[in-house]
Amino acid sequence: MYNSKVRGKLIEGDKSLGQISQEILAPIHRKKPPLWWYAALLVSLSMFGFGLYAKYITVSTGIGTWGVNNSIAWGWAIINFVWWIGIGHAGTAFSIFLLILRQKWRTAINRAAEAMTVVAVFCASLFPLLHMGRPWLFFWIFPYPNTRGPLWVNFNSPLFWDFVAISAYLLISASFWYFGMVPDFATIRDTAKSKIKKAVYGFFSFGWTGSSKEWLRFEGLSFVLGGIAAVLVVSVHSIVSTDFAVSVKPGWHTTIFPPYFVVGAIFSGFAMVLTLVITMRGLYKMNDFITDSHVDAVCRILIFISLIMGTAYITEIFMAWYSANDYEFALFFKTRLFGEYAFQFWAMFIANAVIPQLFWFKGVRRRMWIVFIISIIINIGMWFERFNIVVTSLSRDYLPSAWASYSPTWVEIAFFTGTIGMFITGVLLFFRYIPMIAISELKSVAKFDKPNNGQLKSSSHE
Amino acid sequence: MSKEYILGVFNDEATLVDAFEKIKAKGIMPVEVFTPYPIHEILEGMGKKTRITHAAFFYGLFAAVGILSFLTYAAVIDWPLHYGGKPFNAFPSFIVVTIVATILSITLLTLFTFSARAKIFPGKKAEIFHERATDDKFVIVLDPESLGADSKAVEEIIREHGEVE
Repeated sequence: MYNSKVRGKLIEGDKSLGQISQEILAPIHRKKPPLWWYAALLVSLSMFGFGLYAKYITVSTGIGTWGVNNSIAWGWAIINFVWWIGIGHAGTAFSIFLLILRQKWRTAINRAAEAMTVVAVFCASLFPLLHMGRPWLFFWIFPYPNTRGPLWVNFNSPLFWDFVAISAYLLISASFWYFGMVPDFATIRDTAKSKIKKAVYGFFSFGWTGSSKEWLRFEGLSFVLGGIAAVLVVSVHSIVSTDFAVSVKPGWHTTIFPPYFVVGAIFSGFAMVLTLVITMRGLYKMNDFITDSHVDAVCRILIFISLIMGTAYITEIFMAWYSANDYEFALFFKTRLFGEYAFQFWAMFIANAVIPQLFWFKGVRRRMWIVFIISIIINIGMWFERFNIVVTSLSRDYLPSAWASYSPTWVEIAFFTGTIGMFITGVLLFFRYIPMIAISELKSVAKFDKPNNGQLKSSSHE
Repeated sequence: MSKEYILGVFNDEATLVDAFEKIKAKGIMPVEVFTPYPIHEILEGMGKKTRITHAAFFYGLFAAVGILSFLTYAAVIDWPLHYGGKPFNAFPSFIVVTIVATILSITLLTLFTFSARAKIFPGKKAEIFHERATDDKFVIVLDPESLGADSKAVEEIIREHGEVE
């Protein structure tokens, strides 16, 4: 009953179910990955190693090796933390919201998006950890009976909320992702030729056979997780925004922050999903599964979110003037728009609110390389947004004597490079060892355009 | 698998559902149906219900109450501290942690429930009736003893679009 003629085919080329598993599993079943894979892995691992070195310096010498100072205590680390978390948002948002909206086309993309989530949240969690200064005492943030009082953590603190939210998000998105993969691991187990692969994937498939009992409970599980994770997606980034909004800094202390952050997160995440799936299409020839119309649909969503972003930026500027608050006004008009950080502001505004509007043109949405470039530009733009939020507000406080400037040191840059390396490594391993498209979900929509396969009675789907 | 079963193997969803319903109309219940993806007619037709959603609701209820009482105990009763003149029992700001931690509890507990009830857990050896049921075949498993006099008719139903193995 939810079938519609509007969307058309979800898979090109009229494939049989067996073909679908074969083509998606081809990168896993082949003996050796292609040469570029090794080359890319080498590059990303060396970036990762460079990052490890920066972490070593941070831990052994201290936070003094970073460019942060008393006024701008949250520099690069928090910018990148929020950036990565934002990217990590799309995976779950993608699966959940499109699941709730019964958008069948999500099936080709959600696995990649969720993989991206898990890796990105990992990258994100490193930043606050190292920013603690004494990361070996990080467990003090757990509320557990201890010998220090027993001193409990401050449950009123947004930083504690943040900790709870991030760890919950990491655990939930990882388990959501994993359980979605169990049936696919079983498919690998049953189609693999090599004994080792059979054993390894057999272990990870947890004994899945595809019986109706399993599917019944699996459906119940995804219903529960889907419903509950939708709340999580919205709440996690709202909580990240309270790190800023609950403070009393000009430019931070606004009620627009939670929705603004959530939308921004989904925006950057969807852009990263585009980057990723276009890479997948290019490198693994998944064009039949991730069709042009999939990319088109994501582009259309991006237009809409970009409009919201633009509205949010303009609302902030308008409120800075309309509120008649001197500090707010000074921050926005003397620092952000036309001041020391004008470049970052306008880079953000153009990359997020203006350039994605090119997606209105069909010619742009159809040309993959343009979409790819725009998706990267959006990610850079979202990075500048975080820079803009974190640094400008801190650099121009209420007291001119506390004013300061910020620029990162090489340690911070290396740390960030390291997380990018970690992300790419994770993505490469994902390409190689995990079915990058949810096979079982895709099969359920394989005959989407002709619900009863041209014969017998019609089946309802959903 | 010491016992002999009759397997009806189909190539697509529509023929499977058709045969499934015809077999059921004969008053025979298949032992199990294996499919590469969930098919709602089968899930309903097998007559099993899952209470996993109800379980999740109660997990959520108890988790929310438990977490909120823990926060209140820790911050109000056990070791009250002043934070910027706010009341000890800063109820609204406890809600944030309560919501997120409740979601986490529901997810983990529901996952464990699923694992226990559907018997999907690490290290389990799969009982495979048909190698391609996770790939591209749709398999009905029938107990020959339950067929009785209808076995010929059932075979015909299966053979109409599928194969008997």
